[in-house]
Amino acid sequence: MSAALNGKVSAGSAEELQPHQASSAIRGFLRRAYSAPILPATARKPSSLIYDADDRPGIVIALSNGIQHVGLISINLVYPLLICRAVDAPIPMVANLLSVGMIVLSIGTLIQVLRLGPVGSGYMLPSTFTASYFAPGLLAARIGGLPLVFGMTIFAGAIEALVAPMLNRLRTFLPVEVSGLVIFMLGVAAGLAGLRTVFGPTATPVNSAEWLVAAMTLGSMVALNIWAKGLARMLCALIGLTIGYAVALTAGLLNPALWSLVAQAAWLGIPQFGHFALSFNATLMAPFAIASLAAAMKAAGTLTICEKMNDSTWVRPDMRSITRGVLSDGLATIIAGIAGTPGGVNTSTPSAALASATGVASRNIALVAAAIFFLLGFCPKLTAVLAIMPRAVVVAALMYAVTFIMINGLQIMMSRMLDARRTFVLGLGILGGLTVEVFPASVNLMPSEIAAVAGSSLVASTAIALVLNLIFRIGVRKTATLGVEREQIDPQKIETFLFEQGKAWGARQDVTNRASFGVIQLVEAIAETYWKTGKMVVQASFDEYRMEIAVTYPGERLDLPEKRPSIEQIRDSEDGARLLGGFMLRRNADHIRSGIQDGKCTVHFLYDH
Amino acid sequence: MDVIEQLAGSVTIVEPRGRIDSATAKEFGDRLSELLNSGRHQLVIDLHSITYISSAGFRQLLIAKRSIQDKNGKLVLCGISGEVKRLFDIGAFDELLPIYPTREASIANAQ
Repeated sequence: MSAALNGKVSAGSAEELQPHQASSAIRGFLRRAYSAPILPATARKPSSLIYDADDRPGIVIALSNGIQHVGLISINLVYPLLICRAVDAPIPMVANLLSVGMIVLSIGTLIQVLRLGPVGSGYMLPSTFTASYFAPGLLAARIGGLPLVFGMTIFAGAIEALVAPMLNRLRTFLPVEVSGLVIFMLGVAAGLAGLRTVFGPTATPVNSAEWLVAAMTLGSMVALNIWAKGLARMLCALIGLTIGYAVALTAGLLNPALWSLVAQAAWLGIPQFGHFALSFNATLMAPFAIASLAAAMKAAGTLTICEKMNDSTWVRPDMRSITRGVLSDGLATIIAGIAGTPGGVNTSTPSAALASATGVASRNIALVAAAIFFLLGFCPKLTAVLAIMPRAVVVAALMYAVTFIMINGLQIMMSRMLDARRTFVLGLGILGGLTVEVFPASVNLMPSEIAAVAGSSLVASTAIALVLNLIFRIGVRKTATLGVEREQIDPQKIETFLFEQGKAWGARQDVTNRASFGVIQLVEAIAETYWKTGKMVVQASFDEYRMEIAVTYPGERLDLPEKRPSIEQIRDSEDGARLLGGFMLRRNADHIRSGIQDGKCTVHFLYDH
Repeated sequence: MDVIEQLAGSVTIVEPRGRIDSATAKEFGDRLSELLNSGRHQLVIDLHSITYISSAGFRQLLIAKRSIQDKNGKLVLCGISGEVKRLFDIGAFDELLPIYPTREASIANAQ
């Protein structure tokens, strides 16, 4: 009765919220969204880091680092710019769309940094436009103009948000090396799409002045990246763009008519949002879905870098944090489509690298970057300058950006041991994608229904790799069994069994170490009280994505506490070592469960590989 | 498991070798108690020759730390790397036990 009454009073007073209650509610919300620490209680700040995600640097450091991140990210504005060029959008419209894009980047950064409900990782990860959606975006622009780009961007964001909670389970179907292939092919497709705008059959021929501008732009970016130090190296793309503009101006590529558009643009102005229609196209679902998977995998990788960077005791990715981060990434792309931005967004991997290099990973920096993007969105003159960017500068900047994407994809592919299965998956996948690029007519050999969906290099490449990956999984899983007698427990024998099997299966040493510790620690913990008679069976299986160990013994189930027992419990209780052992077993495995059937207990350990 | 002992002034350096598990932990704990009872209250435990340590071994370290604190002594650890460091990390034992990167630093801090 009392509770019900309290409920009524509470509900009735909601509309008459007092000012102090409202401010208290806002403070509570902000505390949960921003002030509450995001790093685990056991996290230790690495010595290379000056400010971790939870630290609060002073305003000077926050501002100077925020500006650096905005400068670093600015290169990716070439993606929406080129999509606008593909539909011959007028300069004032392009400038407006870029302004909207700046505000979307601000919102995307905010929802990544603030933890609102199930969204946001809390790490210092600004949003940036991404190459992932560039090639599909160009395709959409040519088929249905900007409304189709916006509609398909919303679709891609929704797919990314949907796969966020399933990323770990998708590993079997979308393994690391295939993610690398997708990223590599995104780079290839984006680079070739950019080159077609200058060398394609319908493109205006490139003149000598444009060659000079492109060479100076790309050359300065590359030279600064290789030989410069400090700020000049970090901002090499922005400096290269400025040099490109200067040379283009000198070479007469920026004519007075274009400059007059910049001169007419106001210093301050409110961008127009969502004044375009939306449309969707079923044949573009495959390329956008693949691009969104690539964006999700890339975001997960960048979030993992952030976790590692902030915690010297980091053991393995925290999938809850990664799910929140990828979810916010997907939502940011949905917002980009709704707001009318030509292209989706993604967490900025170069920003994570910059934070690592400077030792400043406080999320305050991302908030400052979000504020700068927001303010830039209200400066039409700046976006007008970007909108008139000569094609020689745009394409040079694109070449610079896609180089990193392609090499990043290659590195991810090469991070795996490339056995015969993976060699064919990757080799034939790349070849299939390049076939579509070099011989576009080859698509006509496919049935028309498939050609409509798989008619891009990205989709063809990914589809071949995914199908081959599934076929080649036949015969991958291997199993071995060891029996242990209660009276003859020999930890060395268990260790030797697991190490020999791990070596024969090509398992990583660190995974075998964890599996070995798990079994031996379990045997120790149960041998005195829970396992009194009979034989224990240790069954180990491996399928290159995970090592699974099932330990079955006649007896009772061991407690596997989520929290570490107190010092007093460990030290003063006779059960101390066993309680601690249960906790360590839980922390040691990626997944652990136990059950009893017919008087026999089975503990399943799972270790991701 | 073997235990090598050395003196560095007033500090006793204890270097266990091999595995500290349920079969050897008690023996190791008993040896630490003997040292304490013989008046050696400043101990450095160098774990660089340890290949494995289980929860039973960690428990003995916590018991030893408490006993030494009761006698106003000091217990310091060093030589923790590789797989043993990973086990310290998953149990968050660096919060509970003073750990130094080198034997020299441990000796200086045990005095």
